[in-house]
Amino acid sequence: MLDLSAPYIQRALLEMLLLAVPAGLLGSWIVLRRLAFFAHAVGTASFPGLVLASAWGIAPPLAALATALGFGVAQERLERSGRMGADAATGLLLVGCLAAGVVLASDVFESGAEVDTLLFGSLIGLTAGDVWLTAAVVAGVVALEAGLRRHWLGTGFEPAGARALGLRPVAADRLLLAGIAATAVVALDSVGALLVTVVLVVPAATARLLTSRLAPLQLVAMLLAAVEGVAAVWLADALNVGAGPAMAVLGGGVFAAVAGATALRARAVPA
Amino acid sequence: MSAGGVSVRGLAGAYVPGRDALRDVSFAAGAGEIVGVLGPNGGGKTTLFRALLGELPIRRGAVELAGRPAYVPQTERARLDFPVSAFDVVLMGAYARTAWFRRVAARDRAAAQAALDRVGLPDSATASFGALSGGQRQRVLIARALLQDAPVLLLDEPLSGVDSVSAARIEALFAELRQEGRTLLVATHDVRQAGEWDRVLCLNGRQVDYGRPAAVLSPETLRETYGGDLIVLEGGGRAIGVGHHGHAH
Repeated sequence: MLDLSAPYIQRALLEMLLLAVPAGLLGSWIVLRRLAFFAHAVGTASFPGLVLASAWGIAPPLAALATALGFGVAQERLERSGRMGADAATGLLLVGCLAAGVVLASDVFESGAEVDTLLFGSLIGLTAGDVWLTAAVVAGVVALEAGLRRHWLGTGFEPAGARALGLRPVAADRLLLAGIAATAVVALDSVGALLVTVVLVVPAATARLLTSRLAPLQLVAMLLAAVEGVAAVWLADALNVGAGPAMAVLGGGVFAAVAGATALRARAVPA
Repeated sequence: MSAGGVSVRGLAGAYVPGRDALRDVSFAAGAGEIVGVLGPNGGGKTTLFRALLGELPIRRGAVELAGRPAYVPQTERARLDFPVSAFDVVLMGAYARTAWFRRVAARDRAAAQAALDRVGLPDSATASFGALSGGQRQRVLIARALLQDAPVLLLDEPLSGVDSVSAARIEALFAELRQEGRTLLVATHDVRQAGEWDRVLCLNGRQVDYGRPAAVLSPETLRETYGGDLIVLEGGGRAIGVGHHGHAH
């Protein structure tokens, strides 16, 4: 059983419940706008920033955010140059960031455990400040969703006609990427640089199998992320594993079960 | 109800500096006129619309419009897997006049349903956009433009590949919009159809000709617009159709 009186468990549960909000709101846009690779890459790309933060004694979230935003800007520039597609640009930068992170880590850290924590997260190390920072980012994400939902919907549905509808697709998309980057950064502490997608992508991808409407999609993704997050904290505490890997296993299992069930139902009820 | 009107003088524009995507375009269309915009794929029809929407950097010339135009894209430009209903899509026509912190106004929601009624899809409001037929999707996009209540409508091949029921409904709607004093620019490959409208604009990277159909739709002009291979002639040399990829209509 979870020891709910333990402060680190309380912080971990609160962190996962807070992260469920952007998992539903932004996660749905990530799935609909086909940004899953970007979401994965922007989390992983923060790895060298975290290593440098540790070496230089600066705040890890600041270094991670700077790296993630730099990644986003570089990716957009490469894509806009017309020399390569978005996926290729993301892949190129991802490899560069990961390689830089590994090389820096081998010089900075003496123990592999510290690298594991950066890559896969740790609930024990969560501080009250981390949770407050997550709460601030969640508030920002809610504000972005309220202000830009129509822009993201119109632009995603039909990019070529978005401006003719009075929307601002470029600015709105930049803010969407910034929101994803900020959420990835605050999720690093709990799930790690390599597993940000278990929060930002997997619950929404699962919910997408269950509904074809936006609001229910966001709500189901949020609920799934909350349930999987709480269960991951319990599993991580019981089995002494990272919350990120625990949530990855849970999320993957739920996705597979839902995918199987919906496929069976589709076969039973021919179109 | 809005009175339309479009005036373009010496327009040249480019997506890439130094490489004009369209040049030497000059025409004027009054309120209540339908202009058929003819040209091969890549000839500048959509580019002209982009210029009128303010999305193409204009290097020379000037554009005057009676108001912000509404744009009806080709349906294949839309994401069919997006979780939007027909009503959601029509409602996008009210986004420009809805403050970010407000719900779309009740009168706009009622107008969205009325627009769906008008295009002959009164019972399709809750249907997923992607589940509709091509013709129905085109009518939903036109309903969205109706909700924008624009004096000028730019329609990008609205009759390409639509079923006969949808085509008849769309053509009837064009006549109604003309009566309301709106200006319609309709990109099409159907020369016969363009011949029934008020004016014809022929483009092939530049303006080849503009005017009344009877004056413009000569075999020579069409050959200059499309190139000789695509012209289909009937009877006394009258051009009856120039279609996509060589198919005659």
